[in-house]
Amino acid sequence: MAYKPQYGPGTSIVAANRRKQMNPGQKLEKVRSVTDEDIVLILGHRAPGSAYPSAHPPLAEQQEPNCPMRKLVKPTDGAKAGDRVRYIQFADSMFNAPSQPYQRTYTECYRFRGIDPGTLSGRQIVECRERDLEKYSKELIETEMFDPALVGIRGATVHGHSLRLAEDGMMFDMLQRDVLGADGIVKYVKNQIGEPLDRAVAVGKPMDQKWLKAHTTIFHSLVGTSYRDDTEYVEYIQRIHSLRTKYGFMPKEE
Amino acid sequence: MMNATFPQVRIVPLRMLKPETAERLLNMLASITGIRRMMIHGPGLPKKVPYGPARGSPNPHSDRRAIHVGDAEIALRIAAGEVILEVEDASVIEEIRSLCDGFFTGFPYQLQEGRFMKTAPTLVDYAKYGPRADTMFIGLADPRNGEGPVLIRTER
Repeated sequence: MAYKPQYGPGTSIVAANRRKQMNPGQKLEKVRSVTDEDIVLILGHRAPGSAYPSAHPPLAEQQEPNCPMRKLVKPTDGAKAGDRVRYIQFADSMFNAPSQPYQRTYTECYRFRGIDPGTLSGRQIVECRERDLEKYSKELIETEMFDPALVGIRGATVHGHSLRLAEDGMMFDMLQRDVLGADGIVKYVKNQIGEPLDRAVAVGKPMDQKWLKAHTTIFHSLVGTSYRDDTEYVEYIQRIHSLRTKYGFMPKEE
Repeated sequence: MMNATFPQVRIVPLRMLKPETAERLLNMLASITGIRRMMIHGPGLPKKVPYGPARGSPNPHSDRRAIHVGDAEIALRIAAGEVILEVEDASVIEEIRSLCDGFFTGFPYQLQEGRFMKTAPTLVDYAKYGPRADTMFIGLADPRNGEGPVLIRTER
C-alpha cells in the first residue's frame, strides 16, 4: 500500500486546520483578492512593473555541469531566470491567527518548491527566488492562511505576536504598517520593512471571531480551543517527549 | 527612603488602549483624591524605525501623540497597555475599582494589587540622579531618557 502522510495528530478543529493547511491535496479557501502589483508594493523588493533584477544569467544561457541531480530536479521559474533570492516574513498573533510560524513552515514545505523557510517563535520568514516569492506570497495572503488584523507582513520590527490586541482588534505594530480604516478595511500604508508606500494597499476586512475560531491553527485556552481538550494531541506529544528523553540515555538491548 | 507601605495597584485592560481612551481613563483617575504616583506602561512607538533596512527613517504613527490629563500635556510614546498607580491607602483602591468597573464596558480589565513601581532608588538611579534624588520621582521615568515625569494638578 502506498504511504499516505497523516500530517499531524489530533481530533480538535485546530488539528484539522493544521492538517488541511499542510496537505497539498486540499485546496485552501480563497478569502480575498489582492493584485500582483499590490503584493510587489508590500514586499518592497522592486518597483512594480520593473524587470526582475538577476543574480546570475538564465540557466538556458549557462553552461550547466553534467550533474545527475540537475537533470532530476526541474528548476522553478525564478531559478530558471536567475532571479535574486528575496523574502516575505509574517508575524502571527496568538489570539486565533489562522496560521503560526511552525505551521507556516510545514505548510510551505509541503506546498511550495525552492524555498528556504526560517522559523522563530513569533515570526516566520520564507526566502526564495523573486518571481516564485511573488506567486507564493499571493497564495499566502489571499487564502485562509491570512487575516488582515491578526497577521502582519513584517520584514523587520515584528514585535506583536504575543501582545494584547489593540482596541480595534489589530495586532500591535510599532511601525503601524497596516491601518484599519473607517470603512472596516485594513490597508497597508508601509511596505514590510516600514517604508511609506505611495498609495495604500487594501488587504480586505478582518475576519470575525467565529471564522477565526473555526480556522485557527493555534491552541489558546482563553480565546479559542484549549490544548488539553485534544487528548490525542497531548498523548502524541507525551509519547515524543518520553521517547526522546529515554533516547537521551542511549538505551541498549541486552 | 520612601515609605514602603503605600499600596500599589495596576490596571490591566484586555486590549491596548488607543490614545483617546487612555486620555479618558487618565482624566478619570486624575479626578480621584489620594493617588500619589502614576505610570503608563506599554510597548514603545519609536520616532524612527529601530531595526532593518529602513533603520533611522521616520516612523509616522497615529497613536504617538500628545494627550491632555488635568492641566498637563503628556507626550504619549507608547501604546498604553497598563496603568500603575501608587495610592495613599486601601480605600482609594476601591474608588479606582468602582470607577474602572464603569469605564471598561467594551472589554474586561484586571485590577491587581502588588508592588509594581520602585519605592527606593537603585544603583542606576544613584548614578543618574545622585545621592539627593527626590524619591517621589524614582521609577517614574526612564533614566536613560531626558524626559522627566509630568506633574498633574486637577481642580478639586
